[in-house]
Amino acid sequence: MTAIEVPEVDYTEYSNRQLVLVPLAVLALAVLVIGGWYAVTGAPATLGLEFTGGVELRVADDAGGDVEERIETAFDREPDSIRSIPADDVYVVTFRAAADDPEGLASDLESQADAAGLSVEAIDQVSPSFASDTARTTIFGLALAFLGMSVLVFALFRTFVPSIAVVASAFSDLVIPVAAMNLLGIEMTLGIVAALLMIIGYSVDSDILLNNSVLRRTGEFYESVSRAMRTGVTMTVTSIAAMLVMAIVATVFGVGLLRDIGIILAIGLCADLMNTYLLNVALLRWYKFEGVKR
Amino acid sequence: MFEPIKENWRVLLLVVVVLGATVALFAPQFAPETAPGESAENATQGITNLQYGLDLAGGTRIRAPLLGYTATGVDFAGETPTQVASDVAAELEGVSTREVDAVRDDEGTGSDGAGAVEVTDTSVSESEFRAAMDASGYAYDTIRSGVTQETRDAAVEVIQGKINEAGLSGGSVQQVQSITGEYFILVEVPGQGRQDVIDLLEERGTVEIAIAYPDADASDGTARTDGILAQDDFENIGTASRREAGSGAYVPVSVVNEAPEGQRSPAVQFQDAVVEYGVASASGGARCNYDLETNSLGESSDSCLLLVVDGEVVNAFGMDDGLARSMASGGWADSGNFRLTTTSFADAQTISINLRAGALPAELDISGQGTSSTISATQGENFRLYSAIAGVFAVFAVAGVVFLRYREPKVALPMIVTALAEVYALLGFAALVGYPLELAVIAGFIAVVGTGVDDLVIIADEVMSEGEVNSRTVFDSRFRRAFWVIGAAAATTIVAMSPLMVLSLGDLSGFAIFTILGVLIGVLITRPAYGDILRRLLTVR
Repeated sequence: MTAIEVPEVDYTEYSNRQLVLVPLAVLALAVLVIGGWYAVTGAPATLGLEFTGGVELRVADDAGGDVEERIETAFDREPDSIRSIPADDVYVVTFRAAADDPEGLASDLESQADAAGLSVEAIDQVSPSFASDTARTTIFGLALAFLGMSVLVFALFRTFVPSIAVVASAFSDLVIPVAAMNLLGIEMTLGIVAALLMIIGYSVDSDILLNNSVLRRTGEFYESVSRAMRTGVTMTVTSIAAMLVMAIVATVFGVGLLRDIGIILAIGLCADLMNTYLLNVALLRWYKFEGVKR
Repeated sequence: MFEPIKENWRVLLLVVVVLGATVALFAPQFAPETAPGESAENATQGITNLQYGLDLAGGTRIRAPLLGYTATGVDFAGETPTQVASDVAAELEGVSTREVDAVRDDEGTGSDGAGAVEVTDTSVSESEFRAAMDASGYAYDTIRSGVTQETRDAAVEVIQGKINEAGLSGGSVQQVQSITGEYFILVEVPGQGRQDVIDLLEERGTVEIAIAYPDADASDGTARTDGILAQDDFENIGTASRREAGSGAYVPVSVVNEAPEGQRSPAVQFQDAVVEYGVASASGGARCNYDLETNSLGESSDSCLLLVVDGEVVNAFGMDDGLARSMASGGWADSGNFRLTTTSFADAQTISINLRAGALPAELDISGQGTSSTISATQGENFRLYSAIAGVFAVFAVAGVVFLRYREPKVALPMIVTALAEVYALLGFAALVGYPLELAVIAGFIAVVGTGVDDLVIIADEVMSEGEVNSRTVFDSRFRRAFWVIGAAAATTIVAMSPLMVLSLGDLSGFAIFTILGVLIGVLITRPAYGDILRRLLTVR
C-alpha cells in the first residue's frame, strides 16, 4: 500500500498571469458579494444576535408532541427563526430586538414559554446598544490583528514582494469565507470572529513555509516550491479535516460556537490552499525571476 | 550516567510537564477552593479538579450598566460635597437628595479641588440634568452618561455582599469597560436561573437605627429602643469618603428634616430620642462600647446608636461632642446632616452598604441596555459532553490524515501523542489556576491540536527530506531550519490572537488565552521533544 502523496504541480506550464487569474477572480467575486450585501442590507454580512441585539431561547419539549407548533403560538411576538437541534430535542427560538420596546423582553418571553409548557433550557438576551458596541470592537480587533500580522511578516522577510504576497493572500483568506457565509446563509457570530482571527494565524503558516523555502534555502525554485507544497498541503488538509469533523459533530449536537468556528475555518483554509499555491507562488516566481533583476 | 539525561532533556521536560499536569488535575491539594458553607465535594465537579464556566455548568451571566448621569470637573467653590449635592437636587423637580451625589476628586488631598456630581434618578434626562447643573451655578467640564467610580465600586460591593450572603459559590461580580469607555457591571452566578439572579439583585432588606442604653434592671444591663430612624427617614446616604484632614473615613448621612404641618420631622424625632436616651447631652456625646457578640453594652459604656439591618445589629456608634451639643440645644434638626465616622475606609464602605440594606446606589439597567445569558444545568452538562465528543472526533480526523499521509507509525504515532500531551498540559494549567472551562476554551484546545500537528508535520517533513538521516549533526541542522518556520508561524498566531485577549468580546478572551498558551507550550516544550523522539527513532537503527 502506498501513502497518499501530495500531487505535484508542473508550474512551468502556466504563466504568472494564468496562475494569478483564478485567485484574483475569486477575490473580486467575494468583494463584490460583500459590497453588494453592504449596499442592500447595510452590513457586510448577515449579523447574528450578538451584533443586532435580541433574545434567543433554547426550548426543550417536556410534554411531547408538536413542539414547533406550540412554539409558534406560545409567544405574543412572531419568532424570527426557529431551529431544531436533532440530537438534543431542543429548539432554538430567536427574536430580534424590537427597537421600540426592548424593556423586559427576555422575562416576558420566559414566562410565556413556561405558560405554554415549554421548559426553557437557556436564555440569551443582548441589548441593541451593546450589540453595536460588540460590532465596533470586532472590527477594531480584526483590523488590529491583521495589522500586527502584516508588520510581523514584513519584519520576518524584509523584502517587499514576498511580504506583500503573504499579506495579500491572508486578506483574501479572510474575505472569501465572509462572502461564502453570506451565500450559505450563515450568520455572523462571535464564534465566527474567533475563526476569522484564527485564519489570520493559520493561513500565514503555509505562506511563511513557502516563502522560507524559496527565499532562505538553497535550491532551484520549482524544487523549493514542491518541497514546501508537500509539507504545506499536508498541514492544511489535516486542519481542514479536523475542522470539518468538528463542524459536523457540533451541528448534530447544536453547539453553535464550535460549529461556526469549524465551518469558517474549513472554508478559509480551502481558500488558503488556492491563494498560497496560485497567488503566492506566482508572485514569488515573478520576484525571483524578474523582480530581483530590476 | 548524566549523559542520557543531557541528551534527552527535551523529552524529559515534556514528561515532567505532563506529570505536573496530572498532579494539578487530580491531586486533592489543587481542588477548587470551597465557598463558605460548602463541602469539598460540592466544589469539585467530576473526578478532576477542572472547573467549568457558565456555558458548561449552567448558570446566569448578566452584564448591565448603572443608570445615571455624571458631571465631571465640577468646581465645588469651597462648598462641602453634601451641600453641592443638595443644591443640585434642589434644581431638579421631584428628585430627592438621595438620588444626587457629589464626590471630590482625590479625596483627602484638600478641600479646594474639583469633583463630580451624579444623578441616579432614572426619570432625569441628560438635558434636565444639564439645566440643573447650569442653574445651580457650579462650573463643570462635561456631562456623560453613567455614574462615578465611587458609585460603581459601591454597587459591586453591594452585589458581592448579596452573593456571599445567599451562599452562591462561584458567583462573581466585576466592572468591565467597553471599547467606547462605558462601564458595565458583570455578574456571574453558576447554577441559578435568570429570574432568580434578577430577584436577588433587586431584593432589598430593612434598615433602622435603634438606641441601646444602660438599664440597671436588665440582666445584661442593657435596654434597647427600636425604630428611632427607619429606612424612609434617610434623605441621603453617601458613599464612603476619606477624611479631609487626618486619618479615618466617614459616611455622610442626612435625615429628612421636613414634615407636614403639625407633625415632627424625622430629624426632630431623632434629635429628641438621642437626648432622651442619653446619647447626647449639653456636656457632650456618648462614648460607646458595644459588644456585637452578646448584643449588650460593655463595661462603663454610655448609650449607643445601633445600626440594625434585617433585625440584626451590624454597627454601633457613640457621638462626637460637637454634634451632641448641637443636638442637645435643638439646632441640629435644621440641617439633619451627620457623619458616621470610622477608623478605616473599608469600615466606612461596609457601613454605607449596610445602610442601603442591599439597595444598589444606582439602577442596574438589565432589560434595556443589559445583556444576559442563562443556561440550565442539564444543558450545560450536555454541552460538556458534546464538546468533548466534537474534540475527540477532531483529533481522530487529524490522526487519520496523518497516518494516511505518512503510513509510518514511527512518525505519525508520536505526532498524535505529542499533540495530545499539549492539550493535557493545557488542561493541567487550567486546573492549576482554576480557570473555568467554557465552550470557547474547548474551541481553543481544538485549535491548539490543529496548530500543534501542523508544526509537527513541518518538523517531520524537514527532517526526513533529502535522504537518510544518518548523523546527529544532519538531524540538528534540519531541525533548526524547521524551527525557524515554526517560530515565525507561532509568532503570527500570537499576534493575531492577542487583541481578543484584551478586548471584551464575550467569552472569546478565554479562547485567545488558551490558544496563545497552547502555542507557547508547543514551541517551548512539546515540539522540541517531538524532535528528540523523532531523532532517536530515525538515527538509531
